[in-house]
Amino acid sequence: MPPGFVHLHVHSRFSFGDGACDMDDLIARSAELGMSALALTDHQGLYGALRFYRKAREAGIKAIIGAEVVVEAAGLLGEEADLPPEQRLHLPAPVGFGRAAGAGWHLTLLVRDIVGYRNLCRLLSRAHVRSGDAPSIVSIRDLGRLSEGLIALSGCPRGEIGAAVLAGEPARARSALERLRGCFAPGDLYVELVHTLTPDSPRYIAGLASLAQSCGVPIVATNNVHYVRPEEFRIHDVLASAGARMELPGPYERPNAELYLKSAGQMRALFAHYPHACDATLEIAERCDLDLGLGQFHFPAAEVPHGETPYSVLSKLSWRGLEQRYRPVTPEAVRRLQHELAIIQDLGFPEYFLIVKEIVDFARSRGIRYSGRGSAGDSIVTHVLGITDADPIRHDLLFERFLNPERRQMPDIDVDFDSARRDEVIAFIYDRFGHDHVAMVATVNTMTARSAVRTVARAFGYPIATVNALSRHLPWVSARKIREVLDTYPECRDHPLHDRRHDLLLELAEQLDHCPMHLGTHLGGFIITREPIDTWTPLQWAAKGVVVSQYDKDDIEALGLVKMDILGLRIHSAISDAVEMARARVGEAAIIEPFELTPDDPHVYEMLQRADTVGMFQLESSGQRNLSQRLQATRFEDIIAQISLFRPGPLEAEMITPFIRRRHGLEPVVVPHPDMERPLRDSYGVIVYQEQVLLVSQAVAGFDLAEADSLRRAMTKGRSREEMARIREHFIERAVGRGVALEVAEEVFRQLEGFAAYGFNKAHAACFAVVSYASAWLKTYYPAEFAAAIMNNEPMGFYTPRHVLNDARAHGIEMLTPHVNESQATYTVGGNGTAIRVGLKDLHRMTARLLDVIPAEAQVRPFRDLADFLRRTNAEPGPAESLIRVGALDGLGTTELGRPPTRDEMLALLPELKAVIRREGNAGDDVLCLAPAPTQPAEDLSHPSGWAPARRLSAELEFLGLSLTCHPLDLAADDLAARGVTSARELRNLPDGTRVTVCGVRERAQTPRTRSGKRTCFLTLEDPTGLLDAVVFEDTLNRVGGVIVKHRCYLVTGKLQNNTERGVAIIASDVQPYIVRTASGSLVRLRRGVPSGPMGPSLGGAGAPEEESWENTDYSSSARSSG
Amino acid sequence: MGRNIAIKRFDPAIGKTADMFSAKEGRLSVVVEMLKSPWIARGSDLVHEHDAALGKRREEPVAVAWNALDRAPAAFEWHARDYPVEQVIQVWAIELYWWDLRRRVSRRCWRVLARGGTYDLAYDRLERRWLLLGEQD
Repeated sequence: MPPGFVHLHVHSRFSFGDGACDMDDLIARSAELGMSALALTDHQGLYGALRFYRKAREAGIKAIIGAEVVVEAAGLLGEEADLPPEQRLHLPAPVGFGRAAGAGWHLTLLVRDIVGYRNLCRLLSRAHVRSGDAPSIVSIRDLGRLSEGLIALSGCPRGEIGAAVLAGEPARARSALERLRGCFAPGDLYVELVHTLTPDSPRYIAGLASLAQSCGVPIVATNNVHYVRPEEFRIHDVLASAGARMELPGPYERPNAELYLKSAGQMRALFAHYPHACDATLEIAERCDLDLGLGQFHFPAAEVPHGETPYSVLSKLSWRGLEQRYRPVTPEAVRRLQHELAIIQDLGFPEYFLIVKEIVDFARSRGIRYSGRGSAGDSIVTHVLGITDADPIRHDLLFERFLNPERRQMPDIDVDFDSARRDEVIAFIYDRFGHDHVAMVATVNTMTARSAVRTVARAFGYPIATVNALSRHLPWVSARKIREVLDTYPECRDHPLHDRRHDLLLELAEQLDHCPMHLGTHLGGFIITREPIDTWTPLQWAAKGVVVSQYDKDDIEALGLVKMDILGLRIHSAISDAVEMARARVGEAAIIEPFELTPDDPHVYEMLQRADTVGMFQLESSGQRNLSQRLQATRFEDIIAQISLFRPGPLEAEMITPFIRRRHGLEPVVVPHPDMERPLRDSYGVIVYQEQVLLVSQAVAGFDLAEADSLRRAMTKGRSREEMARIREHFIERAVGRGVALEVAEEVFRQLEGFAAYGFNKAHAACFAVVSYASAWLKTYYPAEFAAAIMNNEPMGFYTPRHVLNDARAHGIEMLTPHVNESQATYTVGGNGTAIRVGLKDLHRMTARLLDVIPAEAQVRPFRDLADFLRRTNAEPGPAESLIRVGALDGLGTTELGRPPTRDEMLALLPELKAVIRREGNAGDDVLCLAPAPTQPAEDLSHPSGWAPARRLSAELEFLGLSLTCHPLDLAADDLAARGVTSARELRNLPDGTRVTVCGVRERAQTPRTRSGKRTCFLTLEDPTGLLDAVVFEDTLNRVGGVIVKHRCYLVTGKLQNNTERGVAIIASDVQPYIVRTASGSLVRLRRGVPSGPMGPSLGGAGAPEEESWENTDYSSSARSSG
Repeated sequence: MGRNIAIKRFDPAIGKTADMFSAKEGRLSVVVEMLKSPWIARGSDLVHEHDAALGKRREEPVAVAWNALDRAPAAFEWHARDYPVEQVIQVWAIELYWWDLRRRVSRRCWRVLARGGTYDLAYDRLERRWLLLGEQD
């Protein structure tokens, strides 16, 4: 067998911009080349190290974890700039991701053991976190202090020693090597030889080898691997260019494609004169033996009084909680609690529960709304500790679904907090556990079709307009599917990527599929550790100013660390706001806490049955509204079922139809075995919930619940045919052994097999249902407060803010336009709950200062006229113009004609008044007599604005994103009537199968893949009377897809579907664009023309600017020849 | 006395110059090492007029005999004359401007010693042909 070789310097795509190795491919290729070990040394971090560690070990390859770090100069006493120019070395381009990027000299560090791992984590964290906004560089001092357990290679030609040799500065190289040698234990530093097959390579290697020999430092060969196969150098160049925001060839200008994973034979041939440099790779691999101890759990310390244990504390708290939650306490509840506590103790998890309890106790003590969710709802312990609200006994929720004693896995309790007050909870966690023990979890954002196309196009140096044109309208699919999408999606029929000049771009974009693009911060995932957290994971600053781990949630789970999801849920904020507004109006005592309501109010269920669910948590989407009509919920269990049924799994398994048919008596409820009746009684014999799989297995085959959960998991995870046959045999054997007939046992198993993979976690649905019911109750009894609260917490939910207000108006609530004398920054309720006053926060160009000043000044004294307003608020011309245009100054002041000035007159006066105020200051006489500039005659003097409704509406849509004056289609009522258009309200009264034409403004257009693989577009439209749903099947979609993408308002013709089984929808046969014009021919602009208010489009909530069609962009003139 | 032994040394014992190498084989390894030195310019790098005295940069098609065992040129024919490769001095690879068809370069280059001079040969992977990129005496 030929002598081997181990690659010790390898960059994966987690080097973010300087590495193109796909992790799976890297490991597969290494295995193919017969390599026994492999290192991963990404720039400045261990981003991919954990997944590499796991995958390599699975493939039978020894994983060597490491990093190529940037260190300060070692061969200099002062600064580089202090040297004479001819002796200065050219500092390499910065490497690393985000705020962990640094420009300095490269040094390769390999982890020898767990001490080395902890030191490397600490070394990286110190460099990244301490640097703040400065470039992140490892100091020589830290290197010396934290080098135990690490092996260092002197680095690539961008290391100080290599660079000095290349620059002909042997003294500098020697000095750097001597100093670095002092940082590491004898034998732990190697001089790294990289043969990149450039003209300089022989000289470089000879120089380094000679230096190493003279200093008595061993040499080691590497290939500084940046891609797996030679042909992937192009992807590497693209990533490097994109990472540095440069055009090709990017910042490194590597002259060839030699940095690939070469075979041992190739490496030994390259280093034929230095065989011992290749032998050294094997020695190093042998010395590196890291065991991360995966599979163990490491909980942070809970507060336990002296003399107690975590279990004893948990137990006492649980029994106390049981008394409060269950009155009277039942034997079943006692048995259940005993059972769960015993398992929690056996698994060693009491501390975890105590920590979660501490956090929710804090939230409760501060009045911060929260709710537990997920499978944690299956536990009575979480219920009695006050973490979850749904009663596990009442709803047949099973602890084993949450914690299976047969599978020792880290428990995961997710808690949603009021998003507006989540920061208080986070601050508590940092205070309670210490900043050295808490960090946020990272998320790795990977490339999809759109981002891959943008990345390549930018590397090609295309102008931004071309980049936008090429990536726009690509659906949210993987980059591998770009060509398929271009060939099959009607909206992509005319896409510029069809041009043959972009073949190379497409080819490269496809190869970027799933490539890590950047490191994000998990929405609410926190790691809490008992030991200092930087001994477990490298840390760095995230862009948003928090310290984040370099690991994602899977890595954290693999390490056995505790991850808490502190998620913000805006519906909690909306519910709290609505309750507060309602209590302010009707009194504190009149409204009880919505989460504690008994969920049996018939008015609430009537609303659900009418599908009047806009704004309701989890029940408002078009699919859920359709299901509401079909299901006709009458009790809390129905809400749980409704939430569960409209999920990908149940939808794919087509559970809804038998559920609805059986519920309405259209088909009989039959189960193969009488013992299945009880577990399936709430779902009419259909297996909807995961918990039911466990119950059925228990009832029919006599499995205990842990065993049954293992069976469910085995059926769910991609099981092989052989494994399924084995499970089947086991199940049937057990069932038959209990006296169940063979054919019955087979039928039961068939049903379990069919549904197990698709069932939904009932506990999760039950926890959500509590919130859903609370939101439904508020909408039923306090619709104005509920709608205002939603508007104040946008963006949230399924619908646009415009529709939320239109829906409130449909419930008889008056919409009051924003006004400087009446409006607050937020939406408020007036008229004793019959009106909503629009707030100023969503107004275009509004500033945070004005949001404070305007309501405060109006409180002191109402604004008298425009001059008074400008003088007292010092409003800038932009916001002042926006306020005038939406009518916020309507009716203020009097002109010579004895009426308030029209909006046109105020707009004409605005610059003059600003000039006068600028000249004379704010303190002058408050009467300003100016002759108004000549303006066009008022269109409609019956309204103080002087504007016709169409113009008022256009301004509202443009500056607020809302339609307050009326619905846009109200203005075209005559034309629509002449066309025989049916309204949304009328549809429900028409018989099934009627051919109808409807008209509506698009609220949503969703195009999920159906089970058959065909594309179907679900259009949700809005007309003045409400929402209507249209289904556009693939054959029609192929014709009208372009219309749907490019327009906002449509005339949809089709057959009405109106029956209990399928609900109300139109099966579209044609979709035509509809341009909204008034009877006088005025055009109503439906698109929001400007970004939203002071928070910007991403946070403002009232809608971001619409993208224009690609048809407007001339990409061809700037396209670059690419083959 | 031929070219192979034309390097002289001064022998103080006899007070005369003598051939440094007694045979070609002895001379070659020293010459190769010297040619690898950084101060030896490559013919393929020479682009300026004033460099002309050092050698010439060319880009001429040549016929090359390939030694599959060593994965290197064995000989080449240039201007109707055979040049057996005595020694491969250096190998390097070039991949540039791959995104631009008009400028793209994809070559693997060998600096060889033949007939007493160094020659830079390149196999152009795009055009699938051999080129002589430079020569230097």
